[in-house]
Amino acid sequence: MGGGGVLIVGYLSIIVLLPIAALISHGLSISVATHGSGWAFWHWHVSFGFKTFWSAVTAVGSRNSIWLSLWLSLGVAAINAVMGVAIAWVLVRDRFFGRGFIDSVIDLPFALPTIVAGVVLLAIYGPNSPIHVDLFETWMGLMLALLFVTLPFSVRAVQPVLASLDLESEAAARTLGAGGARIFFSVVMPSLWPSVLSGFGLAFARAVGEFGSISLIAGGIGRTTTASYYIYNLTAGFLWVDAAAVSTALLVISLVVLVTTNVVSRRYQSRLL
Amino acid sequence: MTNTSKWTLRVVVMSYLGVLIGLPVTFLVVKAFGHGFGAFWSEVTQRDALDALKLSLEVAAIAVPVNALVGVGAALLIARHDFVGKRVLDTVFDVPIAISPIIIGIALVLAYSRIGWFGAPLARWGINVLFTPLGIVLATMSVSLPYVLRSILPVLLEVGDDQEQAARTLGAGRFRIFFQVTLPSIRWAVLYGVTLTIARTLGEFGAVLVVSGNITGVTQTLPIYIFDSWDQRFDVLGSYSGALVLALISIGVLGILAALKRREKKLLVDFA
Amino acid sequence: MSISLSHLTKHYAKTHAVQDVSAEIKHGSLTAVLGPSGSGKSTLLKLISGLEKPDEGTVTIDGEDMTHVDPRHRDIGFCFQHYAPFRHMNVAKNVAFGLKVRKRPKKEIDARVSELLALVKLEGKAKSFPAQLSGGERQRMALARALAIEPRVLLLDEPFGALDAVVRAELRHWLKELHGQLHVTTVLVTHDQQEAMEVADQLIVMRAGRVVQSGNPLALYESPATDFVHEFLGPSTIFEGEVTRPHDLELVSVHQGQVKGRITSIVSLGFEAQVTVELSDGTSTWVQLSRNELSAMGLRVALLVGVRRREDIDA
Repeated sequence: MGGGGVLIVGYLSIIVLLPIAALISHGLSISVATHGSGWAFWHWHVSFGFKTFWSAVTAVGSRNSIWLSLWLSLGVAAINAVMGVAIAWVLVRDRFFGRGFIDSVIDLPFALPTIVAGVVLLAIYGPNSPIHVDLFETWMGLMLALLFVTLPFSVRAVQPVLASLDLESEAAARTLGAGGARIFFSVVMPSLWPSVLSGFGLAFARAVGEFGSISLIAGGIGRTTTASYYIYNLTAGFLWVDAAAVSTALLVISLVVLVTTNVVSRRYQSRLL
Repeated sequence: MTNTSKWTLRVVVMSYLGVLIGLPVTFLVVKAFGHGFGAFWSEVTQRDALDALKLSLEVAAIAVPVNALVGVGAALLIARHDFVGKRVLDTVFDVPIAISPIIIGIALVLAYSRIGWFGAPLARWGINVLFTPLGIVLATMSVSLPYVLRSILPVLLEVGDDQEQAARTLGAGRFRIFFQVTLPSIRWAVLYGVTLTIARTLGEFGAVLVVSGNITGVTQTLPIYIFDSWDQRFDVLGSYSGALVLALISIGVLGILAALKRREKKLLVDFA
Repeated sequence: MSISLSHLTKHYAKTHAVQDVSAEIKHGSLTAVLGPSGSGKSTLLKLISGLEKPDEGTVTIDGEDMTHVDPRHRDIGFCFQHYAPFRHMNVAKNVAFGLKVRKRPKKEIDARVSELLALVKLEGKAKSFPAQLSGGERQRMALARALAIEPRVLLLDEPFGALDAVVRAELRHWLKELHGQLHVTTVLVTHDQQEAMEVADQLIVMRAGRVVQSGNPLALYESPATDFVHEFLGPSTIFEGEVTRPHDLELVSVHQGQVKGRITSIVSLGFEAQVTVELSDGTSTWVQLSRNELSAMGLRVALLVGVRRREDIDA
């Protein structure tokens, strides 16, 4: 790998790997003690503070917030999976004036800082709403914010795959007598599933961890405290170990979802190629 | 596809995008200028706002070049060399965008602040990351890590190493090959990645909020200033005005990205 | 089922893909539409199938005007150039697709699928996915899929274009045999004159969107209507200012021929030899001889010879 490689690994260790290790170690209250004379690993005593971890994660506030984040994220990922296919379809298959503009607009939620996304949504769906729709401190408001920030993931996962589909298969289905709906569900969708699924996974992971866009619209009341907001509140009270514990739980949840969607989508795809 | 279903789909998609993106962005402009341009201007030029903007730019000035160098280096390593742990290296780059920025902030604190793993030795050298600009730089570097790599890697793989090998047979050295053969073929991708990195560094909120402690004039970046204006100081107009400034920067970024995508089709497969 | 095409015209953005094409395709025939790339032959096939709509003209199948009928209701079997397999379905499901659309009972579908797989010699591959098949197998699967719905017309777009030479020759024979068994009216599109001559009993030669000549392959070979057809349907050379077949020329001793020339090259291709002669008027022509003729005359490069048409002897 050479000197450059060592530098890169060192940098990654400093800004990603060591911090994550420190987080999990604090979260699970892992402590390492040595006994005897040496530093070799057989002198180590590793102990887990599973009790501390569990009580932090199962505290009422923690449980409620994780639960809220889970179902919101599932809902958001599902809605955007459907809308992502619809939008990708319009962008790839339809021809109309301004299509290029719409295509760029899809990236806006990605380019926009999350806090700005929050302010933007409050400008119309907040208190003093110009259209009299006030979603401040409601789960609907949270959902809207999460739909906003995860939209690019859902669309961009599907779009290139849809664009590369073989149009002849659809023509073949038509000559065999299939109608529009049947062609879509039994010829097009089966080829899109892997990408829809991976878009779902990305959107879910993003939604579970999202903070900036919902930090204002949540308003800081219990009913709308998501997991990331709850964790932030813990840090504001300097409860770092509890925060690390809930963070670890949240990490595990996103990891499971990401790995599952990835494995399922890969397995499915391997049959097609 | 029949005309009816085509139009139904168009209307559904446009309404969704309108409710989710179009209307909110429009009303941000309306609200920011709600008390006239003068009020907007005095909001964005007040001292705290300018301090926040200055800090944001300083942080970006450090984080962006570092991550650009690391991204280019790692992309070359992954695309052109075989080594044990290549897939692990590739995956590590995605960790910061796969997890919550809040969690990244906490992780940094638990590693490098006084209460963290390396807190004691670092404190002896006078280094602390909690509630300091250094912490903000670290957090920003972490969350904006993957963009350069993710922009370059597909292009590098597509271009292949034929040209580099040809240059080698013609007697070119490593530096000449990099600057005269490799870099020209990935320059748009590098620019694309750098643009994304800038956007992310200027906009990062969660990770920075955790490590910064939100000290006005010292550790307040522009996104945190926007948050603070709304949440703590009830200066809604200040919040809208700051948000509009960042939104305009983002729209500029989008324009650059779109132009780059037209030059290099492969860039369409971005962060997703 | 006969097909009748009348004054078909199709424009794309700038090009005339098909221009005023009329043709009759007889019931039970195997017709090849032959032409160089860009001649409009694939577009013609898409017009017959309904996948493209003509700007002008009509498509009649069996006396029924099909011009405005959607392809799903035309009862045609279409085999695409790249086979267009449904990649997420196994071979059996691919073949069954058209029958499922038609809501046939499951028993009937199963029976028909195994019958077809036997017909295209893919019995053992029912559960395989397209990705696991060779090119030739994919082609046969696509054929079975098209035949499953008992189409009135079978349309094949460059059916052997993407296959290697050996498999191509095998499949050609097999297709001819299959057509002999089924007698389904078949139209195939190809740019390969040898393939067309070998397989088809009717030819339609196209160029630049128009039909140049049509009819039975041998008749077209023997009496091509234009120089283009002449050159396209087989080897050709120019002799005395006319396009002619090189095997219709012969070499004689320099005293016998009215046209004299010098041999500039001899290429031996096994049984056949191609002899190039530079004629006294400065033009050059080539003559196709058998190996025996070549050795009997003791031909070699730089020899002076006479050239004449073989039929001159008969006359």
